[in-house]
Amino acid sequence: MNFIAFIYEHHAEILTSLLKHIYLVVFSVAIGILFSIPAGILLSRHKKTAEKILAVVGIVQTIPGLVMLGLALILFGVGNTPALVVLSVYSVLPILRNTYTGLTEVQPGLIEAGRGLGMTSTQLLFRVELPLAVPSIISGIRISTVYIVSWAALAGLIGAGGLGDLIWTGLSTYNTNYILAGAIPSAVLAFLFSGLIGGILRFVTPRGLRGNAA
Amino acid sequence: MKKTHVKVIALATVLLLLPSVVLTGCSSSNTVTVGSKDFSENIVLGEIFAQLIEAKTDLKVIRKLNMGGTFVNFEAIKNGQIDLYPEYTGTALTAQLKMDVITDADETYRIVSEEFDKQFNIKWLKPLGFNNTYTLAVTNEIFETYRIETFSDLAAISENLVFGAEHEFFDRQDGFDGLVKTYGMKFKGEPKKMNVSLKYQAMGSGDIDVTDAFATDGQIKQYNLKVLKDDKNFFPPYYAAPIIRKEVLEKYPELEQILNSLEGLIDDETMMEMNYKIDVDNQDIKKVAEDFLREKGLI
Amino acid sequence: MINLLQYIIEHLIIVIIATVISVGIGIILGIIGYWIRPLASPILLFSEAVQTIPTLALLAILMILFGLGNTTIISGLVLYALLPIVRNTHTGLVSVPPAIKEAARGMGMSKLQRLFWVELPLAFPLIFSGIKISVVNSLSIAVIGVLIGSGGLGYPIYRGIQTQNLNLIMSGAIPIMIMAILFDYLMSVIEKRLSRHAK
Repeated sequence: MNFIAFIYEHHAEILTSLLKHIYLVVFSVAIGILFSIPAGILLSRHKKTAEKILAVVGIVQTIPGLVMLGLALILFGVGNTPALVVLSVYSVLPILRNTYTGLTEVQPGLIEAGRGLGMTSTQLLFRVELPLAVPSIISGIRISTVYIVSWAALAGLIGAGGLGDLIWTGLSTYNTNYILAGAIPSAVLAFLFSGLIGGILRFVTPRGLRGNAA
Repeated sequence: MKKTHVKVIALATVLLLLPSVVLTGCSSSNTVTVGSKDFSENIVLGEIFAQLIEAKTDLKVIRKLNMGGTFVNFEAIKNGQIDLYPEYTGTALTAQLKMDVITDADETYRIVSEEFDKQFNIKWLKPLGFNNTYTLAVTNEIFETYRIETFSDLAAISENLVFGAEHEFFDRQDGFDGLVKTYGMKFKGEPKKMNVSLKYQAMGSGDIDVTDAFATDGQIKQYNLKVLKDDKNFFPPYYAAPIIRKEVLEKYPELEQILNSLEGLIDDETMMEMNYKIDVDNQDIKKVAEDFLREKGLI
Repeated sequence: MINLLQYIIEHLIIVIIATVISVGIGIILGIIGYWIRPLASPILLFSEAVQTIPTLALLAILMILFGLGNTTIISGLVLYALLPIVRNTHTGLVSVPPAIKEAARGMGMSKLQRLFWVELPLAFPLIFSGIKISVVNSLSIAVIGVLIGSGGLGYPIYRGIQTQNLNLIMSGAIPIMIMAILFDYLMSVIEKRLSRHAK
């Protein structure tokens, strides 16, 4: 069947999958952010343990996606829950690491200046360190998001829906139309998110620091 | 390590490994490659074929079992990546030949045999005996609540129920679209799609209410599901048989007689039992295959 | 157990072949970007773009082109391995101190000679670091290959998912983790030694 005709005939299915995919990505990255930023702040205060913890989280990141899905499947069954759990866990490392790096690489001179002005630790955090770390953090969020768009495609295997469903159907039935109907939007989505967050990054980075954004 | 050393090592690695990849890739002489779909029944059938061939001939059997769905195997056999796999008449008729459903089992077998021979140079060997038809299954709770017996009964209450099935079911002539149209079913929300082996768990946890069960699946008993009657005869008969590339048969004609020795040996009950052992009792597939062959005196 | 060994070997072969190919292509692309400055951006952007494409999507499209089997997964791995290698090659070459380039020119070396005898060796520690990243990533990504008909450790993992058998899943996952940690460690050691030599 002609690809355009296919899209037209299946547009409802494609739209549903797309929206579900976006939902999976946004939800899990949000959870990643909610966890990683406070955690990153905490780690920046305890640098010695931080290195070890980051190493462990790094190892978790190398666990293949399919394995994590399998583990989540056994723990939570089929559907949204295992998918969101896995995706949230995966979204953590880039954001956590970049929050930590962003905070710890703030020039000591600036912190001294802040203290000189009479700022408390909390004030230092919110008025000096975090704002300076923002480019790094957003960069981490961007990496995370692109990463999650990719892994969310596997979610279709365990009944969580998303664009993976279309790809899976296409793979099972050797149907090129289905494969492309899933593959193309997911690639476009990845680029869109990357570009969008990249744009936010440029907007938010103070002009003086533009060169340093990771 | 000097750069030149690295280059030499890299080159050596490629030279050493390339042949092994090439060898594992193509089928060399005196080998037969057996494929199968990615659910237990088909895998154990593939294993049975493999063990039988190994026992009765000098041929080396390469197993490519659990290799995706119907179409993956079909493509693979058409381009020679596998030599034989277990297929079902109804599937071949509607999903691959894309013809309309007919209900006569013998007629179905005759048509697919002829067409596969003509169009793809593939031969259908003798049927194994059982009919693993698509059915619809609901949980016992739903049966108790609504007291439904047939697909038509189901259609009447379908808007209260969530449907789930493997991805393949949604892109076949004998699949979801045709079913829903024939019976006027309209399920709640979007149908849920997942890997074929996870359907039953989803039924058990209540994530889905109705699924396309394969008649011989062991989990039907395990999850105490109620199978409904296809009152409008939407699904064709699905008799299983080995299908094999004619080229391979010409090379090793003895395979025909060996595989045909399985004719009629596996009835619905037997297949269901084997499935149950694998899916519910978690027995090893190789062992189940071996036990079956020993029991029938074939090895 | 014997089966597991077979899967491990298959997995390794796939990753090694893909790495060798991507190292070849990656380094060449890095050199091209270095020699022909206007091409540097497009080349890097292309590699980055490939990385952004969701893995399953890329593999599915490659399957349409190359069919089922190892060719597809290897080409997929090659594409995914490009970015670290291309980027590190480019950065490594660009970072060669101009004074050294001048000295080489002064000694009468041609551009090609300078590349092979001076610039690449100096850039090698960084290039090797990129290769290390690629290898570790590939070990993980190669698992998905099972879904498009290739071999490797994805097979027991997939079967484990289907049967919800934790042991089976782990029997595939643990070798991968061990290999990833091993490769990462060994290659880091080599990388440090290379850096020392380069200085």
